[in-house]
Amino acid sequence: MSTTVDALAAVGTATPDRRRRLVGRAGRRLLGAVGVLWAAATVTFLLQALMPGDRARLIINQTAGTMTSPTAEQRAAVNATYHLDDSLFSQYLHYIGGLAHGDLGTSYFQHQEVTKIIGDQIGATIVLTLVSLVLAWAIALTVTVLAAGRDNVFSRLASGFQIVSAAVPQYWVGTILLVVFSIQLGIFPVESGSGISGLVLPAITLALPVAGFLGQVSQDEFTRLLDQPFVTSSRTRGASDLGVRIRHVLRHAALPGVTLSGWALGFLFSGAVIVETVFARPGIGGVLVGAATSRDIPLVTGIVIVSAAVYVVANLLVDVAYTIIDPRLKDA
Amino acid sequence: MLRTFLARTSSPRTDHPLVGDGDAGVSDGAGAPARRLRRLAGAAVPLALVVAFAGCGSSDSGGGTSNAAQATPSKPTQGGTIEYGHLQEPPCLINTWVQTGYLSRQFLDGLVSVDAKGKFYPWLADSWKISPDGKTYTFKLKQGVKFTDGTPFDADAVKTNFKAWLDRDAWTYNSYVDFHVGKVIDSVEATDPATVTIKLKEPHDLLSVLSQYAFGILSPKTLKGTQANGCERPVGTGGFTVEKWNHGKDVVLKRNPNYASAPGNAKHQGPAYVDGIDWKFLKDDTQRYGSLTSGESDAIYEVPGANWSAAKKQYEILQHITGGVPVRLALETKNGPFTDVRVRQAFGYASDRRKAVETIFRGAAPYNGNGALSAGSPEHLESLEHAYDYDPNKAAALLDQAGWTQKNQDGIRVKDGKPLQIKIVYSPGNNVTNDDVQVLQIIQDQAKQVGFDVVLKPVTQAGLFSGQDHAAGQWDAEPWYWVARTAEILHVIWAPQKVLGVPNGNNVGQFDDPETWKLISTADKTTDVAARTKLYQQAQERIVAKDALVLGLRPLTVTLAVNTKKLRDVWLSPAIGEPVFSDAYLVKK
Repeated sequence: MSTTVDALAAVGTATPDRRRRLVGRAGRRLLGAVGVLWAAATVTFLLQALMPGDRARLIINQTAGTMTSPTAEQRAAVNATYHLDDSLFSQYLHYIGGLAHGDLGTSYFQHQEVTKIIGDQIGATIVLTLVSLVLAWAIALTVTVLAAGRDNVFSRLASGFQIVSAAVPQYWVGTILLVVFSIQLGIFPVESGSGISGLVLPAITLALPVAGFLGQVSQDEFTRLLDQPFVTSSRTRGASDLGVRIRHVLRHAALPGVTLSGWALGFLFSGAVIVETVFARPGIGGVLVGAATSRDIPLVTGIVIVSAAVYVVANLLVDVAYTIIDPRLKDA
Repeated sequence: MLRTFLARTSSPRTDHPLVGDGDAGVSDGAGAPARRLRRLAGAAVPLALVVAFAGCGSSDSGGGTSNAAQATPSKPTQGGTIEYGHLQEPPCLINTWVQTGYLSRQFLDGLVSVDAKGKFYPWLADSWKISPDGKTYTFKLKQGVKFTDGTPFDADAVKTNFKAWLDRDAWTYNSYVDFHVGKVIDSVEATDPATVTIKLKEPHDLLSVLSQYAFGILSPKTLKGTQANGCERPVGTGGFTVEKWNHGKDVVLKRNPNYASAPGNAKHQGPAYVDGIDWKFLKDDTQRYGSLTSGESDAIYEVPGANWSAAKKQYEILQHITGGVPVRLALETKNGPFTDVRVRQAFGYASDRRKAVETIFRGAAPYNGNGALSAGSPEHLESLEHAYDYDPNKAAALLDQAGWTQKNQDGIRVKDGKPLQIKIVYSPGNNVTNDDVQVLQIIQDQAKQVGFDVVLKPVTQAGLFSGQDHAAGQWDAEPWYWVARTAEILHVIWAPQKVLGVPNGNNVGQFDDPETWKLISTADKTTDVAARTKLYQQAQERIVAKDALVLGLRPLTVTLAVNTKKLRDVWLSPAIGEPVFSDAYLVKK
């Protein structure tokens, strides 16, 4: 399990032969990343472009809020502006060519540069996603350390919690939290806004299912490890139960969870669509919902590409985290 | 007009969105669980209200309807920011959607204003003269008014606006203006800096359309700039200016300290009392209403159905029944079973739409059986409310006459081997709310008893606008509506192809009747109000009773719940129901 970043870091100290191997590996990883982005862009573009219905008519009607059958001249003008009359292949080339230059195009309905729209909104989503990931880990680890390998009321409650929280729909959780803690008890603001107190409920909503998944995976591993000889030997050396759990077992038990974190980041990022709607938070999730319903192709595709990029980066980071937790992997 | 729906404006009791909008909202896939959820949430909310009630009972004079409004009349105070929770976020701050109109009314002024009785008042125009032949309107403009970018407001600015609105190739094209008066305007001239002369090809009730949001005068600088800028930072002469649009969150409106063009029927002249408005987009019903009960909003748009009766007790409810075309089913008369007028009429008698609307909307929106015109328009013909009252026997007799005499094993009528199938194409959250969909389901169920096989075909917003399922044979009925102040809407809907030069897309059913058009077009150029009204009513009679082209469901409504302990003197413009905040003030503790 080697990694790009790790490989790049190792290049400086390696022998020429090893260096060549590492550079090659890093190159393949980068190529893979570009491939993922290209595939995401292509699939999204084709899905949007090939949907039934006339796009010129859609743009004209949606802009005016009418249901007319536009005249040939009206349609020609729109077709010219957005190159809708070109062959699909040439539209695709035009689009991918723009992408290569970092140009995501202009939104059909907001009339702003897609890069600007995303740039304005992505900060809020990233903050929400990261806070949720940290929170999910905190919940998962606490429950795991305290409950794994035991058989009592608490541990049974804990595993019940993990299953339920991994399974409940976020929309439901979000609305319940909103009604109970904001509307009834008035502890948190109803409108999430940009303050810290407004971040609490959205982050919990988003973190719960992920905490359930991470917790379940970690707990299985944790339980298995508790029977390992190194645990017994630590105990015979007089370490406390909690000390053994935190210092020795946790480190190993967290590995499968760390692998999942790459997936979790992506999950959180897409889950933001729902949470941002329930709590009226700014962010690209809300933008994506609007863009998808109105079939704003440049905007939808732009957001999908950015999300794919988040996935790619998240997985690279996971690889780095792996080697930090388990140094044996550095030379593998 | 167009497009109240995106906002799902219509029913104060839906669970909108946009979508809207995205609300337009969360549509399609996410819709169903969302709805179930909201229902759950809705059940929880009344509990919260009970708590809130108990709290305020002790501190205030107590409950009752629209209590606080009459409680203690207080003097307007200066300053503060109004927190207003709206439903739908528009994609651009200038377009013809009525949802955008509610917002643009805050920073744009029109030439004339109107009150609930139909009397016109000066706005950006100080006075006007109409020539005896009704074809020349001369407006004397208010002097010393400036756009908030510093450009003086004058006759040239008005002329520039009309030119930009009617330029089909420019981004400033305004279809609302074009549909209403594009054909009738001959010229708009700046006679001198303070005088605008509008010449018409034939007499027309120009003042009525001028009072509506779509005729708000923009700064020539905005019109000459880019669309991106116009969408983000449009400039007018209004009581507020657009300070910043935080997409996905709110539009920050700031008081225009030099405001000198309040309409003649405003509650006061001069700059707004408040420092600004935080116009927030709260698409989720639970959240929007919660933001009112928690005090984070001073007023909200669209009270969710679950909270409707509680809200009526606790808050001031402002409601405007929007004129124009109500939400109604337009029937396809060129293809399919509805080519036969008897089948159209039978479909009308086949279901109890009145009861369906009353049951589903629970009083938040009334039934509007006259599908040609909303009860909110002065020319609305009341007798047509009962044109197709529920009568399954009559429906069956009409179908028998039309030759649909056989029934198949499912109880569906058959003629020439073809079942009597009616396809209704609609877009939930867009041209109908989820409550309307429930009404359609009731229609489906009841019509089946008579032998109609009603197929409900939902499409997405994009599908709706790109014409999905709208080709010949793919649909038989479609819900649609169109806001306007008066029966002037009739020519927008029913103008025939030979007059427009192109097919009239607003005439969903594509039914051209020369007689009806003659009545409408004659009414349009009749200046005597009583005579004009009579002609419009004769046209409605033909559209609804004789030809059964439309089946009415309910009018659109604009509903605001205002917490009068905090905010007073908000009003809805009688034109289209646009909320007006420039007279409102915050109650100081």
